[in-house]
Amino acid sequence: MIRCVALRKTYGSVVAVDDLDLEIAAGEVFGFIGPNGAGKTTTIKMMVGILAPTSGTVILGDYDIREAPEAAKALTGYVPDQPALYDKLTGIEFLRFVGGLYGVSGDVLDERCHDLLEEFGLVDRAFELIETYSHGMKQRLTIAAALVHRPRILILDEPMVGMDPQGALALRRLLSALAASGVTIFLSTHSLAVAEELCDRIAVLDGGRIVVVGSLAELRERAAERPDLEPFDSSLEAVFLSLTGTTGGRT
Amino acid sequence: MSAPSLRILLAPRMLAARTALRRSRTKVAILTLVTAAFWAASFAFFERTLAYFQTITALGPMLTQRLLVMLFVSFFAVLLISNVVTALTTFYLAPEVRLLLAAPVPPRRIHDARFVETVVASSWMVLLFGLPAFLAYGVVYQAGPLFYLGTVATLLPFLLIPAAIGVLVTTALVLVFPARRARDALVVATVALAAIGYLTLRLVRPERLASPSDLAGFAAFLAAFEAPASPYLPTTWAAEVLIPLLGARPGEPLFFFGLLVTTAGVCYLASASVVQRIFLTAWSRAQEGRTRARRKPLLGVLLPRLSRPLPRIPALLLTKDVTVFFRDASQWSQLLLLGALVVVYVYNFSVLPIDDGTPLATTLRDVVAFCNLGLAAFVTASVAVRFVYPSISLEGRAWWMLRSAPVSLPTLWWSKFLVAFLPLTVLGEVLIVVTNRYLGVAPGLTLVFMATLLLVVAAIVSLGLAFGAAYPRLDSTNAAQIATGFGGVIYMVTCLGLIAAVIAIEAWPVARLFWRRVGASPLAPVERTLVALAFGLAFVLTATITEVGRRSALRSLAALQP
Repeated sequence: MIRCVALRKTYGSVVAVDDLDLEIAAGEVFGFIGPNGAGKTTTIKMMVGILAPTSGTVILGDYDIREAPEAAKALTGYVPDQPALYDKLTGIEFLRFVGGLYGVSGDVLDERCHDLLEEFGLVDRAFELIETYSHGMKQRLTIAAALVHRPRILILDEPMVGMDPQGALALRRLLSALAASGVTIFLSTHSLAVAEELCDRIAVLDGGRIVVVGSLAELRERAAERPDLEPFDSSLEAVFLSLTGTTGGRT
Repeated sequence: MSAPSLRILLAPRMLAARTALRRSRTKVAILTLVTAAFWAASFAFFERTLAYFQTITALGPMLTQRLLVMLFVSFFAVLLISNVVTALTTFYLAPEVRLLLAAPVPPRRIHDARFVETVVASSWMVLLFGLPAFLAYGVVYQAGPLFYLGTVATLLPFLLIPAAIGVLVTTALVLVFPARRARDALVVATVALAAIGYLTLRLVRPERLASPSDLAGFAAFLAAFEAPASPYLPTTWAAEVLIPLLGARPGEPLFFFGLLVTTAGVCYLASASVVQRIFLTAWSRAQEGRTRARRKPLLGVLLPRLSRPLPRIPALLLTKDVTVFFRDASQWSQLLLLGALVVVYVYNFSVLPIDDGTPLATTLRDVVAFCNLGLAAFVTASVAVRFVYPSISLEGRAWWMLRSAPVSLPTLWWSKFLVAFLPLTVLGEVLIVVTNRYLGVAPGLTLVFMATLLLVVAAIVSLGLAFGAAYPRLDSTNAAQIATGFGGVIYMVTCLGLIAAVIAIEAWPVARLFWRRVGASPLAPVERTLVALAFGLAFVLTATITEVGRRSALRSLAALQP
């Protein structure tokens, strides 16, 4: 459902993403982890078509994001790391606007807006300006907006940041339910516990390159193969630290 | 542990300014040139006015002194408003205040740092407008170095007084109103005052001063300018310091300077003392203010009807942009200025002396009718720089939403273009039709002007989107601030160049058409061909600029990162 083909992004001499190849099946929950500056957000921006790759491409469904961007984007819901919205719109107006952008309209749109506002606990604040929302509420509204057109692919960049524990739990449950219904989920996160809990497969990115990709069990095996590292417990955190070479105190 | 020094607290702003200066040398060079040109023109104006006053033996010196008082009064009024608006941001809305409050910085030190920022941010205008005027005074009166030193020494306390009052007024405002509401009210009040000032200035018909009898009236007005020259006002004290230093008449400059300095000191201490005591309370109050939008506002009914004839994406963007526009005081308040501009524009034509039947009036009408095309285009460009140019920046950090949606950039461009082009065209065409009726221009020519303006407006809108995308300020939410940035200035200059080019191309054919009307003789075939060619050239020029602007905008939009 998602295929990155030799995806590369450079800024002058700096290589942010280095010939990235990935293939994610329909209905899979795919975790994308890595230290700060590894290239996660840059990769995601290229995947959703808001940043042009230097070379390579991304195929979403059957559509190449570079050749048929509108068709590819129509399949996708995107949750950015910063929930920057139109502050002078109300929550309901924002959802209607986004639904309109994706071609959802009329009663269907009204019904979905209502359902999503209820699901994300925003019904009471639906008619208030977004500028009065807390960070967590904006984050919830952003996720609701990403779902308003019922996407087949959901790409989330650090969605748990700023969320309270209830919100984070609700989101984890929602992602599980979406995956169960066949939605492909690409989840970039710093929360290794979330990745461990939700993801079928995980890719570890470091310095713009994929260090390792596989299920948690496979990642553990790969970590255990590294003789230069001290033995760790089998948590994803330990695996992550050993695979990204950050055991020596890198933060 | 000692509290961080004022230098440390001001360092971020100074470092940011230094980096901006280093990074954009071209921008700095162009702005320096524009400022130098403005200073030169301003100096020439004041120097000529003051030199003229000197020739009026009886009234001259008094007029010169009154003009100095008027200058100080104007500066003080503008400084007062500017400081209130600036202090609201620097003290109560700027995000870095939160960091200062969390840090072990005493409130008094926070006040001092914010106060310095307020003074600097509010007072550049006085330097820009004031220095050439004071220099002109020095030159005309052949004043010695003491005058220039005195000017600098006088301006320092003169700037501090409105700044301190501004901080106190702002603090009182946020204690009563939520900061966002207070800011909106201040923005609207400031724009409304500017619009009223502009209207007043025009409606007193300053052109009458061109005749000697009316200049005497202006002199009489200045002579009667007593009220603001009250001995209790700092504006009077400032003038009273400088007038003796000019050698215009004897006085007590030291006494008045002492008054200025002590008043500035007291005002500053009052500001520091109040803020020191209640800053946290005022800051906390400023963070309140939940704004609930009405469920069924008038726009909610009107907008769907207005947008129905449009395709889906332009209709969506129109609905979103208009909703945001009327909820953002910094945007809709610009309509007040626009209203004043239109009223003055139409009024100018209503008072033109075109009905007295003299040959001069007939010629004037024909010339003005042609210039009217350029003026209407200029008004449209002035509106575009405030509404079209900022439209990309106002998408702000939410730009990701449009870019990740299944909407192509050309569609987005067309949507933005249509949403701007339609109202601007209506505005420009209405101006042309109404003013041409005042002028008695033949309908055929009015149609030619209307067609030309249509093309020019398309090019102006396209350029507005191109420059707006090339110089985005996604962090700014203030449309007026965006419009007055570097890109806005370059955009306006480009529009003026375009209008001048179109006027130049059409001057000859329009003159021929006028001549034909006056002479009642048909155009020769060669002339007809040349006239058609000239209009064709105007079409090609505007169409080319529209397309170049479109491509440039699309390139910039593709690279735009929220």
